[in-house]
Amino acid sequence: MQVMSKSDWLSFVDRLIREDPSEIVGVKSKGPKFVFDELDSAEELRLDYDVTILPPKKYFLPVYEDMMKYDLTSAFSVDKMVDIPPRIVIGVHPYDLVAMEQMDKVYLGDTTDELYKARREKTLIIASDILNVSEDSFAGSMGTNVSGSGYDLLVTDLGDSVAVDVGSEKGGSLLSSYANAGAADDSVEARVAGLREGVASGYSKSVDVDKADWPGLLTNNHEHSVWEEKSDKCLECGSCTLVCPTCYCFDVNDTAALNLESGVRTRTWDGCMMRDFSLVGGGEVFREGIKERYQHRIYRKGMYIPERYGFTACVGCGRCVSACLPDIADPSDVMNKLVTSSMGVPKPLPIPEAAPAAEGLAMVPRPATIVRTETMTEKEKLFEIKLDDGMPLGHGPGQFVEISIFGVGEAPISVSSAPGGDTFEIVVRKVGDVTGKLHGMDAGDKIGIRGPLGTGFDAEALKGKNLLFIAGGLGVVPMRSLFNHVLRNRADYGEVTILYGCKDPSELLFGSEVKDWEGRDDLVHKFTVDACPEGEEWEHNVGVVGTLIPQVQFDPNDTTAIVVGPPIMYRFVIRDLKEAGIPDENIIVSLERRMECGIGKCGHCQINGVYVCKEGPVFNYADMKDLPEAF
Amino acid sequence: MTKPKVAFFDFACCEGCQLQIANLEEAVIDLLGVVDLVSFREVMKEHSDDYDIAFIEGCIQRPMDAEALKKIRENASIIVAYGACAVDGSVHTLRNEFTKEDVLNEVYGDADVEGNPYWDIYDKAKPIDEVVKVDVYIPGCPIDRDEFARIVSDVLQGKAPKLPNYAICVECKKNENICLFELGEFCLGPITRAGCNSACPNVKSGCEGCRGFLDDPRTSAHKEVLEKYGVSVDEMMAAFSIFQYGKEGS
Ligand SMILES: Cc1cc2nc3c(=O)[nH]c(=O)nc-3n(C[C@H](O)[C@H](O)[C@H](O)COP(=O)(O)OP(=O)(O)OC[C@H]3O[C@@H](n4cnc5c(N)ncnc54)[C@H](O)[C@@H]3O)c2cc1C
Ligand code: SF4
Ligand code: SF4
Ligand code: FES
Repeated sequence: MQVMSKSDWLSFVDRLIREDPSEIVGVKSKGPKFVFDELDSAEELRLDYDVTILPPKKYFLPVYEDMMKYDLTSAFSVDKMVDIPPRIVIGVHPYDLVAMEQMDKVYLGDTTDELYKARREKTLIIASDILNVSEDSFAGSMGTNVSGSGYDLLVTDLGDSVAVDVGSEKGGSLLSSYANAGAADDSVEARVAGLREGVASGYSKSVDVDKADWPGLLTNNHEHSVWEEKSDKCLECGSCTLVCPTCYCFDVNDTAALNLESGVRTRTWDGCMMRDFSLVGGGEVFREGIKERYQHRIYRKGMYIPERYGFTACVGCGRCVSACLPDIADPSDVMNKLVTSSMGVPKPLPIPEAAPAAEGLAMVPRPATIVRTETMTEKEKLFEIKLDDGMPLGHGPGQFVEISIFGVGEAPISVSSAPGGDTFEIVVRKVGDVTGKLHGMDAGDKIGIRGPLGTGFDAEALKGKNLLFIAGGLGVVPMRSLFNHVLRNRADYGEVTILYGCKDPSELLFGSEVKDWEGRDDLVHKFTVDACPEGEEWEHNVGVVGTLIPQVQFDPNDTTAIVVGPPIMYRFVIRDLKEAGIPDENIIVSLERRMECGIGKCGHCQINGVYVCKEGPVFNYADMKDLPEAF
Repeated sequence: MTKPKVAFFDFACCEGCQLQIANLEEAVIDLLGVVDLVSFREVMKEHSDDYDIAFIEGCIQRPMDAEALKKIRENASIIVAYGACAVDGSVHTLRNEFTKEDVLNEVYGDADVEGNPYWDIYDKAKPIDEVVKVDVYIPGCPIDRDEFARIVSDVLQGKAPKLPNYAICVECKKNENICLFELGEFCLGPITRAGCNSACPNVKSGCEGCRGFLDDPRTSAHKEVLEKYGVSVDEMMAAFSIFQYGKEGS
């Protein structure tokens, strides 16, 4: 530990402002509150603050962040925005250091978020010990009132002098370049320890449940009355998530300039308390109820993230407590209400295994060219696509890509062709902006591709098994990638049956391939339509796809069913399969959710604690059936 | 690509929204590069009835306006209602509580307006979509220039423009404002549709809801908050009645 006089500390900060090329930000007052903002002089810095309105996450995931710029006058021209200027942030409190280290695990782990990484690397953190405790904070009982890591320098304002702990080499050289600090003796260390003890005992608010017990408590109290009592009062204003240092979901939007020559893809903070967070093109909102949204926020903090990453996604800063007008957002109050009820044995959340992420994914799409299109029905069009770098996509069956059209946006679309080959196929239904624009495109046009993404079907594990494919509507599109793979390697698999249903005969996809099946004696196939309008020809079954199940023979104990279709379809089909005696673990489903990033960061696709974009979209039914939000 | 032809029209309003557009400056020049402006009273004298996109400001007070609007609908393939008056009638609907006779009497006194089409008003002021189908809405009093630019760029690209369906609070938090309730002020932000970048709270003035309510406003939760912060019924009614007069929930 080192120490300097108060005036030396002030000159240190002033020298940083004047001489260091970095932007220097620190805690300043804003009316009766505090914010992190650019410093003009050391005088402005308020190390005596209690808490800032927004946490320092705004420097790593800016409120609005341009992710890439593009030129709309050329076929495919994108400028990644990784030129980030250096910055020094002064005054970060320990609970925010803990939150930043958590965010690092999410944004730097698995697939790295390049922009976040660039900002993180360009930022030096001069942390500060807490001097005044916020009346809404319960960091004391979360153990986040102190932190031994996560900073380059940690300063403790002792009134007459300032103690400094060097946390990194960069911090050390900053100190030796600009500060007049000397070694601290035992008495300084004792004063720092004393100050910290004083702060620890200064919290008026506490959470009475050890954070290690939060998952158990939440597991057992999903039906507790506290959820309704609190969420009834909720404004859905989203404030609790926006101000939270451990909430970092975002939304992605494309905006073209009015001259339509250039545009930016921007991300901005989003949150699960807002209704449209889980809205998809067809109008379905996957987490519709306010109670479910309220629960999701608390369960994510206290159970989903702890089980996935091993830390509690609340650091007790109390910002949500201050921000929530109806006074319901406080996680400590929820936990304190639950603790009086029974504590269960935590039932671990299933986190299905994710396929290893491909290299160099992140958010910037690769250029690709449409090499062939085929109109399949009024609404569906097939596109054969080739990556411009000449590389094969390298996808497995059931994986998807994000299709990018600059100026319009992105859409997750399943790869429909079997693995292998230099090109791949997708089939797209026209429902909105991206899909609509794509429908207007033809061979030679350029699009962007991210992927392959997600975890698809495990074709290896299915080897030797009897397979019962059940597809509803557009579900046949992703299923085809596996089905054609199986047909190509027919000898590796047991009996193969396919049941395929759609609304009416005009919606039947892959008509010519379907005809080829008729000539094969190594597979059983049956088709159905929900209804056949008068005047149209249809020689097969009429009724929902489930009505085909009793029409085929299979050994329920020795058959794996693969179900892909819209939610209404798979709910009923799964019920029918269970009735037919197929064990849960032999049912494989592909699920749909709202997606933005496709790499487990933006939060939109979550089914409880499971990320559909990473661990899915293909799941084993047995893994997912107990998740309240899954089916 | 041929440039789409664009026309601007105004009915009962203050024309403040047109001024917002005229004040877009460089962006207007960009816009003029990609559209063919055939009619815009605030900035040009010429007028043509050959247009693809019609921007309508103001609300409909008179049968003669309704007829003119219907003609516009026939000519245009896309109608954009912009500004609170066009979108939901806004302050004009304040008169809907009175009979049209009382209104004319109050404003014009003894002047003889009988039979004159210029003074022939409906019983109630009508937003644009009570007369013709509206394709795109741009709310606000006045409109937000950036939102206008974004929506116009969406329309020109063939995208379906979307309005935020979350509360002003979201933008207020993003701007790191101090909540007006904490400053002892009253605010309709929690139930009002975002998109103005929390313009009023940014300058410490409570939201008056000029952009209209969210699709599904949490009005009863908001009422509880107002009570908690000691906002009197009178204050509440006064604030609600500016832009929310006669709306569900107010
Ligand atoms: C894993 C997965 C695979 C899919 N595979 C296919 C496929 O093979 N063929 C096909 O036609 N469709 C597929 N979809 C659905 C497709 O992604 C949506 O129809 C598409 O995103 C709609 O985008 P849009 O811009 O045209 O519509 P808009 O309504 O304009 O979409 C607005 C935004 O909402 C989000 N969104 C809307 N609908 C969905 C949705 N259903 N799922 C996820 N996000 C959505 C997107 O982020 C989009 O940018 C798939 C969805 C998922 C999640
Ligand atoms: S949940 Fe509330 S108290 Fe916990 S970290 Fe987030 S804002 Fe702070
Ligand atoms: S801050 Fe409070 S009212 Fe707003 S969304 Fe969160 S819990 Fe609901
Ligand atoms: S986390 Fe962003 S789409 Fe899954």
